[in-house]
Order: sequence, then structure tokens, then C-alpha cells
Amino acid sequence: MRKLAILALAGLILVVTAGAPYASAVDLNDQTDCNTNHMKCREYTLNLDAPWYKVMVLLTLCDLAFCKCALSV
Amino acid sequence: MSERAWPGTAALIAILALGTAASGPSSVPRRRAVEVPVAAAGPDEAVLGRPLALAADADRLYVVDALDCAIKVFTRDGRFLRSFGRKGAGPGELSFPSGVAVSGDSVVVADKLNLRIQAYDRDGAAGGGFQVPFAPDRVFDLGGGRILVTGNPTGRGPAEPILHIYDAAGGPVWRGLEARASNDRVLDAFRNMVLVCPGDDGGFFVVFRSGGGEILEYAPSGALRREIRVDERYAYPTVSITAGGRSMTLAGFCWAASRDRGLFYLAAAEALDGRDLGPARTVSVLDGQGRLRAVVDLPCAVHRFLVSEGRMFAIDDEGALRVFEVGP
Repeated sequence: MRKLAILALAGLILVVTAGAPYASAVDLNDQTDCNTNHMKCREYTLNLDAPWYKVMVLLTLCDLAFCKCALSV
Repeated sequence: MSERAWPGTAALIAILALGTAASGPSSVPRRRAVEVPVAAAGPDEAVLGRPLALAADADRLYVVDALDCAIKVFTRDGRFLRSFGRKGAGPGELSFPSGVAVSGDSVVVADKLNLRIQAYDRDGAAGGGFQVPFAPDRVFDLGGGRILVTGNPTGRGPAEPILHIYDAAGGPVWRGLEARASNDRVLDAFRNMVLVCPGDDGGFFVVFRSGGGEILEYAPSGALRREIRVDERYAYPTVSITAGGRSMTLAGFCWAASRDRGLFYLAAAEALDGRDLGPARTVSVLDGQGRLRAVVDLPCAVHRFLVSEGRMFAIDDEGALRVFEVGP
């Protein structure tokens, strides 16, 4: 029984260790996507040349979308 | 002061007061811009989808169109000549181009979403370029092969530079003008909006769109040379904009700006119903010391403009090209 528990623990550590770099790479890509989308959102908004109320609302929406994206990563 | 001195002092004060009144807003020459009729649009590609910036040389006007991912070339009378560039990421292709400048024999373009500066010859043949580590916004020729590129701060890091100078080969020469950063990224975005006017000696001028009444002059090295205080008679609105339960007080110091033959052409934002700021219908002409020389009334609101040899090339509310004579 004890041998079985040690084997299970080792297997778990192996899976976590092997999976960790993969998981962080996925997170990194998602975070990069969040940053890219946030940049595009702001650039489109700042180049609208619209009255500033509209720019203010759209910039706020860009930031909210970025927060939502970052939290869901 | 003796009692005998008082009448003389009072007379002097009266003369000074009269002098001040005489130099008030009413004494600034005001004139109407004379519109140059522009030929009908012509082919479909002549229609501007989303014009973001303009550049001119001795006989051509170049307008960057972010929607069509193209540079549209016009005569200085506004007649369409041709278009070059198309959407993509390959050589000569563009993705949301947002700036254009004429540099030597080349037309350089800020290829925003491809994060690069692209160069073309005057006929539109792609001629190289270089990558930049940010999304380039506007691009300006400083002479001697140097190019000034502006970038909008992302708001996600401290001390982001707004201005970058590169040599013709894409080598970084200088970067500066750190973005203002606070806990309010939306407010920061407004505070960091800048307009740039190239100078005559390789230097350049910077105007903060929501700024506090000065023009910054930079030397060719990138060093801040001086702050030009703008004439108090240059009027601009300050408005509290309320959205979603929050309020933000913004000064509409300058909606668009250009510089031509030593004169600044600044268009203050227009207060819309006292609750918003929008594009301008008047342009103030200031000399190199910031003194107000004239006010020019336009027949329409203009979003972006370039003044070259006394002629203004402007983008109106409909996104159409308009040409005006505004020079003295």
C-alpha cells in the first residue's frame, strides 16, 4: 500500500513537472494575445478622431476588455 | 510717492490700459479661408475611407488611408493621381497605416499593425523599411535621413517614450518624452496625445492636444530647447466630460496642428454643447514666439490638416479632402 502511494505521488509530480512549462507557455501566449488586442483596441480608438466623449467611453471599454481577458487567462 | 506724482502716474496707467485694450482679441486680424475647388473624386480608389495623416512635397500630396491600407496621391489642387499599397504583411503591404512623410526621395509610412516603417519611392514601388518595437502612429521627416516616429503609450508600463528618432537604415538615434502615467489610464491617454510639427533645422515641435498652453521646441539632438508660451488670446475650451458615472476635465488645447514657413497653425478643439470636445472650425496662426497673428475661419470642421506653402490640405467631417488658402 505504501509503495503504491509513493508511486502515485511520483507520477503526480512527474505529470505536474512535465505539464508546467506547457501550461505557462499557454498562459504566456494568452497574455500576449490580451496585450495585442488591448493595443489594437486603443490604437483604433485613438485614431478615430471622434469627439472625446466617445473616445473616453471606447478607451474605458478597451481597458475593461483587457481586464476580463487577463483575468480569464 | 509725492502727491504731485499722482496725476502723471494715473495718466501713465490709463495709457497702458488703453494699449492693452488695443491689443485684445478684437485687434487680431480675422479672415475666411479661401477654398480651392477640388475635382470630383474620380475612380473608387480616389475615395478616402479613413484618412489619418497627410504629407506634401513640391507638387504632390500624400494621404494615408487606414481603411484601404493605401497611400493616395493627389496634386496640390486635390486631383487624384494614383494609389499604392495594399492590405497584408509582405513587402509593400500595409496593415492599418497611420502616418506618412516624404523623406528625401522616399515616402515613408507608419505601418502600425505590422510594427514597422515602410519606404516607397515616389512612384509607389516598395523600397525597404525596418521593424520598430512598438505600434508606430505618426511619422515625420527631420531631414538628413532622420525620421521621427510617434507611438501611443500602451498604458501598461512606466516611462514609455512617445517620440523615437531613427536614421534612414532604421538605426535608433534617440527616444524621449516619457508618457505621463497615473492610476487612470483613460485620462493618461488624453494627457499623452501629442501633435508634432517638424522644424527647419532638423529639430521639431510638440503640442499636447490637451495641454496647458505651450509648444515644446526640441533640438535635432532631441534635447528640449525651450517652451514657447502661447499667446493668452489663443482661446481654447476646458470641458468636464461625464460618462458612466465618472467625470473628467479636459482642455481642448489643440485638435490639430501644422507649421509652415515659421508660422504655427493651431486649431483649438470646439466645445460641443459645453459637454464634449470635437474638431475645430477655426485655425489660429501664431509666430515662432507664440504670438497670435491671425485667426482663420473655415467653412467646415476639420479633423486633420497640413499647411504647406500657405495652402491647407484638410480632412473634413465626411472624410473628404478639402483644400484652402490660409497663408498670409
